[in-house]
Amino acid sequence: MILAALLLVTQVAAQDPRLERLDPDTRSAVVAVLDSARDVGLPVESIIQRALEGATKGASGARIVAAVRRLAVDLGAARGALGTSAAAPELEAAVAALRAGATPEVLAHLRNVRRPPLTMALSVLADLVASGVPADSAAAAVLALAPKARDADLVEFRRAVERDIALGAPPGAATSVRLNAGALDVYGANSGATNNANNPRPRSRP
Amino acid sequence: MFEQDDETVERVIQHLRRPMVMDPGLDARVMREIARVPSPKRRARLLLPLLAVAAVLATVLIVARPWSWNRASKTDVLQFVLVAPQAASVTLVGDFNDWDPVRSPMQTAHGVWATVVRLAPGRYRYAFLVNGVEWRADPSAPAAKDDEFGTPSSVVTVGGRGS
Repeated sequence: MILAALLLVTQVAAQDPRLERLDPDTRSAVVAVLDSARDVGLPVESIIQRALEGATKGASGARIVAAVRRLAVDLGAARGALGTSAAAPELEAAVAALRAGATPEVLAHLRNVRRPPLTMALSVLADLVASGVPADSAAAAVLALAPKARDADLVEFRRAVERDIALGAPPGAATSVRLNAGALDVYGANSGATNNANNPRPRSRP
Repeated sequence: MFEQDDETVERVIQHLRRPMVMDPGLDARVMREIARVPSPKRRARLLLPLLAVAAVLATVLIVARPWSWNRASKTDVLQFVLVAPQAASVTLVGDFNDWDPVRSPMQTAHGVWATVVRLAPGRYRYAFLVNGVEWRADPSAPAAKDDEFGTPSSVVTVGGRGS
């Protein structure tokens, strides 16, 4: 009896105090997901944040639990694609990219052609899809730019595509046009690099 | 008037033609003073350690770039803005403040609400809470497409390099 009480006290103390905003049933379910994630070495902060987002937005417990479970599964898939050395921000961005429609192979390819951190490249991929760019075109564009573009270049590329879409350009065409125009800046006009959104040929880092 | 001038000039000439008696110790004193002045080689020897220290300092400054240490500490300061002239209150809520509606209240100037947040590299979901009840996405940021709670959210990404 005393041992059980001590165990309960220990568990409560080990819980993140931020989770007290959840009702007891939801909290215990979320804690179970967090424990499972910790057991396999996944970062848990984004899972906690998703639960808190649900609580603040007044979502039902069932919805919150479903969201954190799905996120934990997706974080595992992201780590499977990026490898165990991927940092938490990279995994969180990779989840967004996977949910946007990028395949695990695209993520693995990106890891091979770009020096970490991959957070911005993965985010730009997800944000392009959110803007209406087809997932395969967004992935091809990011893969083409990834070897040499700086994070700021990728952000500027995304903004340029979004501007073109807002002005009425078809998302896929806007991506191709901006990619070919931006390639001159990123790769250098005389580099001879091929940067085609439909046929990316990532180059190894010098 | 001219004759008087000639006499004066003649007296000056006579005075200048007198032999001048030099101080016999002058040469020795001059040579002693010259010896005290460091030679160019000696000056270079004195400067070498100073130049070496300057070179080391310059190398440290170029390699370590202490002026960018703040950026290297991996946080960016971001300003969030929402135009909401009719709103009585707007707060910024997101992954960076535990979705706590009281932690990042926004200040208004003529209906333009703004606040500043310092963020480490990462991808963050956030939204604006208007008048404590209405959730709004940031119209100037990418939308969070995977919204599972039925209200709009936006995303902001802070990069780790070259951003």
